Amino acid sequence: MVLLSVPLWLRSRLTDRFWRVQEVLKYARHFRGRKNRCYKLAVRNVQRAFVKSTKARKQKKRFLRALWITRIEAASLEHGLKYSAFISNLFKTQVELNRKMIADLAIYEPKTFKSLAALAQRRRQEGFLAALGDGKEPEGIFSRIVHHY
Amino acid sequence: MTGRGTASRFLTAVLHNGVGRYVRQLQRLQVVFSPVAPDARGARQFVEEEAVDFARRHPDVVLYVRPCDCPAPVLQAEYLNGTVREELIASKTSEEIVQLAAKLASQSGLDIVRIRKPFHTANPSVQGQWHPLTNKPSSLTVRGPRTAPQ
Repeated sequence: MVLLSVPLWLRSRLTDRFWRVQEVLKYARHFRGRKNRCYKLAVRNVQRAFVKSTKARKQKKRFLRALWITRIEAASLEHGLKYSAFISNLFKTQVELNRKMIADLAIYEPKTFKSLAALAQRRRQEGFLAALGDGKEPEGIFSRIVHHY
Repeated sequence: MTGRGTASRFLTAVLHNGVGRYVRQLQRLQVVFSPVAPDARGARQFVEEEAVDFARRHPDVVLYVRPCDCPAPVLQAEYLNGTVREELIASKTSEEIVQLAAKLASQSGLDIVRIRKPFHTANPSVQGQWHPLTNKPSSLTVRGPRTAPQ
């Protein structure tokens, strides 16, 4: 005999409410105030925290790049170059270091960074000579381009 | 699933393993399965065919085979730092179990959580870390020889 409807006196009660609540509260334990204890407040704030964490993945890349640029600017100003001059001349000498590596070199390898700044400065001077000179002087050494193809 | 809401750790090797001799971090591997249940077929095949070869290839791992009346077949790995990891091997083929065992043998017992950076070094600086007096003239730091006697 197949019973298609449940009789009204048959009750089913929720037995694992504690664990369902803990699943949400475990992500709220480091919050401030009542939202780390009370489920109703925690649910909203855990949802917001997840959304912010998703959006922050793109923003982290922007923040870190801005941080590296600030550090490179400070380090190159110590050697008398502005950031724009440093980066553009380094690019023209085919030194393909990204900003993360240059910032790490500036912190942990200051002599290497000094030599990079000197290289960029020399390339800058050669660029000025090539632009303002009369074409009688030979091309600068650091202005030579190596073709890898 | 936030950065601060979940656990994370830095990249380390257990007790600088690999600097000198490499010590395999897997201590023992227990194959717990039931001799009758249908989903333990792969486990039984593994024990019959591949377990001895596995034990020969990894001489520093102790392999225990435990046929018992358990609900689900399990591969239990214990590591030298005390972590115990259990992997279900229900309805897996013998080759998959071999691959799983090899993976467990190559792991260290550190927690499997987010690793903050994929690199770690104890000596980040070779030329000396930058400090505010690095690029200043040395007359600020070095006191030269005293010329006139006091």
